[in-house]
Amino acid sequence: MATTALNSDIDILIPSLMRQLIQVWGDFDSSLNRVPIIDKLNRGKFRIEDYQLLLLNLRQQVVEGACWISRAASNISEAYFELRSLFIQHAATEHRDFKMLEENYVSVGGILSSIQSQPKNIGSEAFSAYMYHQASRENPFHLLGAMFIIEGLGNRKALELGEKIKEQLELQPEQVSFLLYHGENDESHMEQFDEALRSGFLTEEYVARIVKTAKVTARLYRLQLEELGNY
Amino acid sequence: MNKVYINAIGVCLPGEPVPNDEIEQHIGKINHQKSRLGPLILRQNKIKQRHYAIDKTGHTQWTGSLLVAEAINHALQNSELMPNEVSFLAAATSQADFLVPGFASMVHGELDLPPVEVASYQSVCASSMMALKNAWLQVKSGEHPNAVVGAGEFASRYFQPGFYENTKLLGEGGQLPMSAEFLRWTLSDGAGAVVLEDRPNRHGHSLEIEWITLRSFANRFKPCMYAGGIQEPITPWGNSFSPEVAYRQGTMTLQQDFKLLSEMLPVWVGEYVKLVEEGKVAIEDMDWFLCHYSTHSLKLELVKLLEKAGCMIPEEKWFNNLYEKGNTGSASMFVMLDELFNQKDLVKGQKIFCVIPESGRSIISFMMLKVV
Repeated sequence: MATTALNSDIDILIPSLMRQLIQVWGDFDSSLNRVPIIDKLNRGKFRIEDYQLLLLNLRQQVVEGACWISRAASNISEAYFELRSLFIQHAATEHRDFKMLEENYVSVGGILSSIQSQPKNIGSEAFSAYMYHQASRENPFHLLGAMFIIEGLGNRKALELGEKIKEQLELQPEQVSFLLYHGENDESHMEQFDEALRSGFLTEEYVARIVKTAKVTARLYRLQLEELGNY
Repeated sequence: MNKVYINAIGVCLPGEPVPNDEIEQHIGKINHQKSRLGPLILRQNKIKQRHYAIDKTGHTQWTGSLLVAEAINHALQNSELMPNEVSFLAAATSQADFLVPGFASMVHGELDLPPVEVASYQSVCASSMMALKNAWLQVKSGEHPNAVVGAGEFASRYFQPGFYENTKLLGEGGQLPMSAEFLRWTLSDGAGAVVLEDRPNRHGHSLEIEWITLRSFANRFKPCMYAGGIQEPITPWGNSFSPEVAYRQGTMTLQQDFKLLSEMLPVWVGEYVKLVEEGKVAIEDMDWFLCHYSTHSLKLELVKLLEKAGCMIPEEKWFNNLYEKGNTGSASMFVMLDELFNQKDLVKGQKIFCVIPESGRSIISFMMLKVV
């Protein structure tokens, strides 16, 4: 009987959560068009320096993505070990992405040692600090809200941006592979997201925390794009 | 020295175009009487429509700074430069919003830009060229990698009846003299802006600035187009020791001395002929000729002089949008360049020769651009 009750709860909670996350996403996605660098890309005025700057500023955060997911995994208690596996798996698939980003940077004239030693911009500092803080809490499932936004970026936005950059700067696909690869491959991550939600932890309280985490993540992600070059 | 390019141009022409028969709804009627000279002036200037920042009910939400800021925003929208990268701002106008502080500060205050170096230019139509020349040199010298230049006029606010009524200017029957009425029916509102960079656009054309010259002949002429004082003997409004007295003398109005204006024409044409003789300008190498003139009748006089001097530029090279956009004073060269750059099919290598005479106290400025 208990299992049946849980299932019906989940059938209410998941659609409610998804409706809220989709609203957060919609707000985030459209607000990105107001960010100067994205606005410039949308206006067809992108320069090679803009692409270099974007990659230069994204790298540190991409490196750390796998790190805070790993930290979150380490704070998941034994009762939810399946979810812990999912987090670990996710971290593993992400943790070499920055290599591709570095290759893209070098292929458009960037210097490898520069991007590797580049400090985070002030938006990335806030973004990263928030992620590590949340990942350090016990059973940080609310970080699924952060993953929803970040994967949404990879899944929907990166391909769109990558195609535009490739076209405007007349680049080869391999010079934009970080953005294009994300666009093509992050769909499996979204399936894992759904699996995670169904793993048995979801309560009304978690729904609220996931939504809030998604909102903060979206705002801080936008901040790091607004603060390109401000280290 | 860097090469300098005009990489984007934008304009702000407020509201819908206003046809000739609706002018008085915007600038008002002096002592509630229909202007007698108005229709005659319109036949001379041949302007068909213009824009006003004051609506038909006599209200406005604009200031001169807002018009220029809007034009700068449009230019930045057309640009590969992001607003937060702008490093130098030059702003020009004939009559600034405030007496103090400077116009560029007021424009900067309306823009979402970082802290920048600013420079304010107050002259008449050539004020935009003073601003552009400084910006060009700033980028050319490497002092700044880019510059934004805006120029604009909110002339119609000074054409409202309250500036003329109860002043010495009004003759018998309460009508204005030609010296004041001409400008009321010729000038209108608008702003233009350009973005300069030390590199050409990646996407689309740029206009390389080859050279800019500017020369004043104020040492030979009295004020010709003036406001804020008496022409003879020169008496600034502030010397009246009371704004009330200054106003009653008519000094708060814009006026034009036509006799002086016709004396200036040969000097301006002479400067142009000098450029031709020096080899700086070759008529056959020129693809577009943009000449600011306040009214069509002045163009006819210029053509006469150019033909006499054997330096006439073939009519098919002339480009002007005075007739559709109005005479926007300092903004007019940018308003012309905007239409040419953003709407005409320019071809790499074409040369654009620009001339901006200013009757204020006689200035002439020339500029040569190359499409790259």
